[in-house]
Amino acid sequence: MSELVCSNGVDQLMDYLEDVVPPAVRVALDEHVAGCPKCVAFIASYLATPRIVREATRAEAPASLGPLLLQFLRQHRED
Amino acid sequence: MVATPAPGDASDEVLAERAALGSHEAFETLALRYQARIYRLACRLVGVDDALDVVQEAFLSAFRHLGAFRRESKFSTWLYRIAMNAALMHRRSRTRRRTDSLDAFLPAFEADGSHRGTPAALQVAARADELLDRKLVAEKALALLEQLPETSRSAFVLRDLEELSTSEVALILGVEPAAVRQRVHRARLILRGLLSAMTEGAS
Repeated sequence: MSELVCSNGVDQLMDYLEDVVPPAVRVALDEHVAGCPKCVAFIASYLATPRIVREATRAEAPASLGPLLLQFLRQHRED
Repeated sequence: MVATPAPGDASDEVLAERAALGSHEAFETLALRYQARIYRLACRLVGVDDALDVVQEAFLSAFRHLGAFRRESKFSTWLYRIAMNAALMHRRSRTRRRTDSLDAFLPAFEADGSHRGTPAALQVAARADELLDRKLVAEKALALLEQLPETSRSAFVLRDLEELSTSEVALILGVEPAAVRQRVHRARLILRGLLSAMTEGAS
C-alpha cells in the first residue's frame, strides 16, 4: 500500500471511519495521514460537516403540533 | 399479578400491539412520543412549510398499516420507513427544482493524487459554524440537499442528521449497509465542499 495517495484515502474515508476496511488498508491509511497535513485538515472538515449541518437544520416542533396531529388523526382514522 | 403499564410508560412495541388491537389511546401515545422526531425529519426532507402535512400523512399511514408491523424490527425503524415514504410521495407531487452540477463541490486533487489547496484552506469548512450565520447554513445546505439524488439525500438525512446507525438506515431504505456508506460519503463530500465555499467567502 506504499502508493496510497490522498485521493485513495478520501475514497475510503467513510469505510475507514466505520471500521469496515481490511486491517492492512487501515494501517496504510494511518501511515499516510500521519505524514500528510493536507489529509489531516481535510478529515477535520469532513468530520465537522455532519455536525454543522445537523445543528443548523435542527427544527423544534411547534407546541401546536401535538394537538393538530391528534385532531387530524381523530378526523381521518375512520375514513 | 403483573400490572399493565400506563400508556406513557409502555414500550413502543407494546403500544403498537395494543393499537393494532384497536386502542386509539395507545396509538395517540405513540404519535405524541414520535411527533417531534418525525417533524424534524420532515423539515429536513421537505422544508418547514410542508412538514406538518408529511407528519400527518405519515402517522395516518402508520395507523392504517399497523397490522403490517412485525416485531422483528423496532417500531421506530418501521415508523421512519413510513415517514420517508410519506416525504417521498410529497416531494413527487411538487415541481422538481433546477439541478445544478454538484461535482463542483467534490474535493479536487492534483495530478499525483494529492489534495489541491493548503491545509488551512482544506480545513476551513470546519469553522463554518463560527463564521457563518446558522440560518444561512441551513438554507444553503437544505437547498443543496434538495439537488442530491433521492437515495443520497435520504441516506444522509437519516444517518448524519437523525443520527441513526448505518445498519438501521439500511433497514429503513431497504439497501445494504455498503450502499448507505457510499451514499452518505458522497453527500458529506458535497456538503463539505459547500461549507468550504461559503466559509472561504466569509473569512
